Amino acid sequence: MSGGVGASARRPDGPAKVAGTFPYAGDLRVPGMLHGRTLRCPHPRARIRRVDTATARQLPGVAAVVTAADVPGVATYGLIIADQPVFAATEARYAGEPVAAVAAVDARTARRALAAIEVDYEPLPPHTDPALALAPDTPRLHPAGNLYREIDVRHGDPDRDGPVVIEDHYVVGMQDQAFLAPEAALITPAADGGVDLRVATQWLHSDREQLAACLALPEDLVRLTLAGVGGAFGGREDITLQIHGALLARAAGAPVRIAYDRVESFLGHPHRHPARMWFRHTATRAGDLVSVQARLVLDGGAYASSSPAVLANAVTHAAGPYRVPHARLHGVVVRTNNPPCGAMRGFGVPQVTIGHEAQLDRLADAVGLDPVELRVRNAICPGDILPTGQVMGGPLPARELIQLVAARPLPPSPTAGPAGPTGLTLPGGLPAAADPSRVRRGVGYALAYKNLLFSEGMDDSSVARVRLDLAADGTPRASIHSACAEVGQGFVAIAEQIARTELGVDQVVLRPADTAIGSAGSTSASRQTWMSGGAVRGACVAVADRLLARVARTAGLPARVVEAPGASLRITAGRIVGAEAGLRLTLADALAAGPVEAEFTFHHRRTTALDAAGQGDPHVAFAAAAHRAVVDVDLDLGLVRVVSMALAQDCGTVLNPLALRGQVEGGTAQGLGLAVMEELVTDGGRVTNPTFHDYLLPTAADVPDLDFVAVTEPQPEAPYGVKGVGEAPTCTATPAIVAAIRAAVGRDLRRVPVRPQDLVDLENPVDLPGAPGGDPPA
Amino acid sequence: MLAGARESGTEVVLLSGGTDLVPALRSGERRADAVVALRRVQELRVRGAGADSLTVGAGVTYTDLVGWSLSPGLARTARVVGSVQIRNTGTVGGALGSARPAGDLLTFLTAADAEVLTASPSGPARLPLARFLAGGPAPGAVVTAVRLARPGGPQTYLKIGGRQAAFPAVVSCAVLVDRLRRSLTCAIGGVGRLPARMEEAESAAAGDIDWATGTASPAAARRFADLVTAAAARIAPALPVGPRESAEYRWHAAGVLAGRAFTRCLLPAATPDEPT
Repeated sequence: MSGGVGASARRPDGPAKVAGTFPYAGDLRVPGMLHGRTLRCPHPRARIRRVDTATARQLPGVAAVVTAADVPGVATYGLIIADQPVFAATEARYAGEPVAAVAAVDARTARRALAAIEVDYEPLPPHTDPALALAPDTPRLHPAGNLYREIDVRHGDPDRDGPVVIEDHYVVGMQDQAFLAPEAALITPAADGGVDLRVATQWLHSDREQLAACLALPEDLVRLTLAGVGGAFGGREDITLQIHGALLARAAGAPVRIAYDRVESFLGHPHRHPARMWFRHTATRAGDLVSVQARLVLDGGAYASSSPAVLANAVTHAAGPYRVPHARLHGVVVRTNNPPCGAMRGFGVPQVTIGHEAQLDRLADAVGLDPVELRVRNAICPGDILPTGQVMGGPLPARELIQLVAARPLPPSPTAGPAGPTGLTLPGGLPAAADPSRVRRGVGYALAYKNLLFSEGMDDSSVARVRLDLAADGTPRASIHSACAEVGQGFVAIAEQIARTELGVDQVVLRPADTAIGSAGSTSASRQTWMSGGAVRGACVAVADRLLARVARTAGLPARVVEAPGASLRITAGRIVGAEAGLRLTLADALAAGPVEAEFTFHHRRTTALDAAGQGDPHVAFAAAAHRAVVDVDLDLGLVRVVSMALAQDCGTVLNPLALRGQVEGGTAQGLGLAVMEELVTDGGRVTNPTFHDYLLPTAADVPDLDFVAVTEPQPEAPYGVKGVGEAPTCTATPAIVAAIRAAVGRDLRRVPVRPQDLVDLENPVDLPGAPGGDPPA
Repeated sequence: MLAGARESGTEVVLLSGGTDLVPALRSGERRADAVVALRRVQELRVRGAGADSLTVGAGVTYTDLVGWSLSPGLARTARVVGSVQIRNTGTVGGALGSARPAGDLLTFLTAADAEVLTASPSGPARLPLARFLAGGPAPGAVVTAVRLARPGGPQTYLKIGGRQAAFPAVVSCAVLVDRLRRSLTCAIGGVGRLPARMEEAESAAAGDIDWATGTASPAAARRFADLVTAAAARIAPALPVGPRESAEYRWHAAGVLAGRAFTRCLLPAATPDEPT
């Protein structure tokens, strides 16, 4: 048996993905299917006086047109609060909000039908400034009001001050998940009155619950199967096209393919919350933190999505992984006429990490400490009290991480090496032709922690079913059934590894994820390896127990062995052995008597909600990470190249080193994107750059090789001691790069993504190579 | 056929590399009843050199130009267009046909005083690039080639954008030095709707360059950069401000790039070891 827990087992879907034959949701086709498209409101806020679909319905080739009037069940949906209309009926609240959808024989006819729908809009003045959302003269933008949530955490004596004070404002722009395979589904009406969906999503059962409510169908008539998902990063946690497509399929009585193009994808799913943050850190002159105050305003956009939970993360993590005796952490997430914001990798933590890490660097300067030393001095340890009153449990090697990353070798200096810098390795790349003498290097650090699994009392359990039987060729085979959405994170490999280890088999089959089994919860919050991995392991253990009990019974072993067979028998490498019992037979022989099957539901420990003072035990567990970034900055143009990234991360037990590496490299790249390029820009509520031409993602030329060290202290209550690993590095990559840029240019940076124009002095004349007077900043 | 289509009201579009057209059709920004692919029209894929001019067929791809020793400036420009995939499929004719402000080639060709050759039922025609860009091709006409003078000295093309490679230009700059005609030409892209010539900076440079040696002083480079920054600020109509770069930054960057391009062409000692 190879490829068990701890091995770099290859993903079963890897070869097909690399070869280009893996079917993503957008690749699904069936004969006779219709093409669905969505009509979106062009105004950030508008009253809808009338929607006239008569002309569109009469176009040849148009099979169905649906609007708000065609929603048979609940008119609204949402992950936490159902405040988002399936289609805007009387008022549209963001530019891009769906108003109608059509299904036609081909995409072109569907586009024509959209153009034939007449919508009489009365544009209203949009309210897009989150700072004004709660002002008395701002109208209620929705019957539920403009405040999604407010949290006020009071810890210690919030008025207590240290002698050294650092206080400032920070702004974080709107990042998009920008997964590469846009939203898509193939939806078929069923003969039993139900509907079958094959869809790329992060959470089949949450989709089903919302679909059933809006379609007015019992949940068992709404059946979902996961289709190939090309990235998610939080952007598929919300419903997008599922309900529209189901309405169309049911209205037309035919299968409907509904799929977004890139522009529609950018408009269609919620983004990362833009943040405006104020921090006030005080410390002793020796550099011990005394207090942290934070005030956060997150822009939730037009509808709630997961805003309330994102705010809880942002506020409870606002002081960072540091020992803070006194704190006042306040945050609001508000409604505006900007695009809705919701889940994205890091879920509220990247924003506050950008703030608290910038503050720590400035504090280090103020007390005359090295940034690493200041962090080492204040890093939180297990047993410390967090601002929520929660006791930091489990391993959290924050101090060790920052020390480890600081000890990694630095890259060679920019001018080292026989060839010197090449055009490709200078900031701006070959076409910018930077002058090496005008390039400055900077080094920056960031440390963060991120909660794992759902918080605040949620019981986000996961179910798995495992069956052990003989394949047609007589070899033992384990089949796993779980609704865990594989979105690229690698559960498909991990689940197989667990079955191999627990059941001693080589052959493992993972059934498609669907709603024929209970929920696995969302593929988010760094939770699936822990939760669904735990469910698979639990089911495997139960299968093994049943099989061993049967073997013991058949072999006539004593009742105590039959009742607790695991104590004297075990499965190992395709055999069942029991030294005490003198038993030795192959797994195949044992399974000849028939298959064994078991289902297991995994729960994490219960947490509690926050009380009015923001106190409680809200988070199951945490994982920490520390990044060191090295950047080169072209002082004349403000262009930045990230030269090297080192990461030390608190990973728990490593189940698959290769998959771990994939997660931390991806997390680092996504954090790099937020640091220097990824921003969805809105102008009066309208997204101005919804294409990959204008919304740039890092490429291989932008992301350096990652120097990665895993710290592997097992998490006690998690299966095998695992921790989720995908989010923590996203939180630290951004602030580490921003810190390195600050070190290079010698100016404080208060806005992320950092723009070239933020780094050059537009007042002073241009400096040229060989020209005098181009002194670098001190 | 195009003329016929025009009379019947059919929307026919010409597809060259498709790097601009296909996304525009997909997004609905452009529509078409018929798409005519030009890729197999061999006559459009020819490039050649006359006694004083170079002619590049509209179907010539950027990849075709990357190694072209007869025009180091075009080669340099082609080399930094988009990604490998874009360079393999994108064409000279496509760059003219879609005339995107971020188009790298337009900046270079503007500095090169290029002419656009077209064909239509009424016969072939040629017109200066600026006029072509201002008015587009005549109805029913197809761009067949672009013609520019053979290089008479160093040329370069520089640009900046949002990442290390494979990016659309935010600001671009082409500088061509012609030692025979004793002229320097410079175009800036990304500030106005179309690339703009920097006439004032050009004539100042012509006076500052030591034409016997083809070199200039650092002070001349600095003056050139300052003149370009000032001229960039006067370009009208200016492009709408992009998501990440203010107008002031673009003007500033135009000057920096112009200074670097000038230095690269005329102060060889100060230039890092990198081919143009």
